[in-house]
Amino acid sequence: MAINSNLTDEQLVVVVRESDKEMYSEIIRRYSSKIGHYLRKFIRNSDELEDVLQNVFIKAYQNLYDFNTNRKFSPWLYRIAHNEALNNLKKYKKEKFSLDETEWEIVDEKINLKDSLDNKFLKEDIEKGLAQMKDKYREVLILYFFEEKTYEEISEIMRVPVSTVGVLLMRGKEFLKQILKKEKYVTK
Amino acid sequence: MSQNNKIEEQVMAGIKSGKIKLRSRYIFLAEKLGIGSAFIFSIILAALFFNLLFFYLKASDNLMYLSFGSRGLFAFFESFPYLLVVILILAIFIAGLIIKKTGLSYKKPFGYMAVGLVLLAMIGGGALTFAKVAERIEARMNCNCPSEMFFRPLLSNDMEKRNSGLAGRINEIGEDFITVQTPRDIIKIDISKLEKELETDLSTGLFVIAVGEKKGDVFEAKNIKIVNEDEMPMIRRGVNECFGPPEDRRNIPLNILETEGRVGGCLMEKKGAGSCSKNCFVK
Repeated sequence: MAINSNLTDEQLVVVVRESDKEMYSEIIRRYSSKIGHYLRKFIRNSDELEDVLQNVFIKAYQNLYDFNTNRKFSPWLYRIAHNEALNNLKKYKKEKFSLDETEWEIVDEKINLKDSLDNKFLKEDIEKGLAQMKDKYREVLILYFFEEKTYEEISEIMRVPVSTVGVLLMRGKEFLKQILKKEKYVTK
Repeated sequence: MSQNNKIEEQVMAGIKSGKIKLRSRYIFLAEKLGIGSAFIFSIILAALFFNLLFFYLKASDNLMYLSFGSRGLFAFFESFPYLLVVILILAIFIAGLIIKKTGLSYKKPFGYMAVGLVLLAMIGGGALTFAKVAERIEARMNCNCPSEMFFRPLLSNDMEKRNSGLAGRINEIGEDFITVQTPRDIIKIDISKLEKELETDLSTGLFVIAVGEKKGDVFEAKNIKIVNEDEMPMIRRGVNECFGPPEDRRNIPLNILETEGRVGGCLMEKKGAGSCSKNCFVK
């Protein structure tokens, strides 16, 4: 266990591929919460979420040889999760969101929302706001604010240039502000 | 947490039982090779068709019709190599699609990639020009090989009869008409309705390019220009094309063969495209 925790993700992948398949459980342990957290932005139903999360780890395992160990593992795994989430949305044609309290605070802090407002009421509006946005803006906002990924990582996950990430983020924030502004919850 | 444990257990159980397997590294290698090959193939195809397009525009009468201004537009559009352009765009599009779908180069904006692909096709096409690839393909068009079937429809457009324009050599001069030897046929041109006076008198052996309208067997010219031999389109094209496919040669009037010794020689020898192409129109 101690050895496992000393290994980087990339080193773990090499071990799983070359010698010890059971070490893959360490990868699942490291990422199941993070990926689950990310997928929750797209999938509210817990059964569906579980299925998709399981699929992410199965696909990641099956495609481990496709991973370039000279690069970071995390964006690669998020990319699979991202694709699975989108496939799920397409499959069921759903627009789902759920923000937990911590996430709600992040949004509050980063997009300059009024402190005095009723959080519960505002949360519903943020959810509605994000749900009204185009996927490309919504995804980048989620990855940056909630998953706290860097521009570089978002670029790898979404397969867009880093400069595009910046533009999407800026526009996404503006759109979200505009949507919330209509509801008169955002400072000028 | 329990949900995560459950997932870990289920996935690991699948792995241990062998139901979930690692895909072989060779599959990924083959996929990458396949994608790479498809990308390179589409770029080569784009370069080749850029080269053929360039060759066509240089060798055919297409661009010359633009020198007539708006009057030549119909002939220009009629002789435009749409098929070559469509395949060129398609090849670049496929290369772009491969880049986009496989994320081969997502780090750069797609606009840059598109410009890069076009430049790559142009540079590749330029390199093929130096290697005279288009000329070689042209020469092979008359052989009985499979490539002929593929390239003939693409390059023989300028050899087809046109309704709005023609290019060829004056064969005979009458009072209100001339006959012109075009790559496909001998065509009678009515010159009584010219919109502009000719700057030079016409004489047999001169190369001319005309725009107008085909009416039955006669071409009613609206404008005619005399063209220098060096600038004459299609002069580089094979003699077989110049005078139509072999079965049509029987219909060429005998006097052409008799009076035009070198052309006749070419026809009689039935040489390939490259061997006596210049003789086709050379006086």
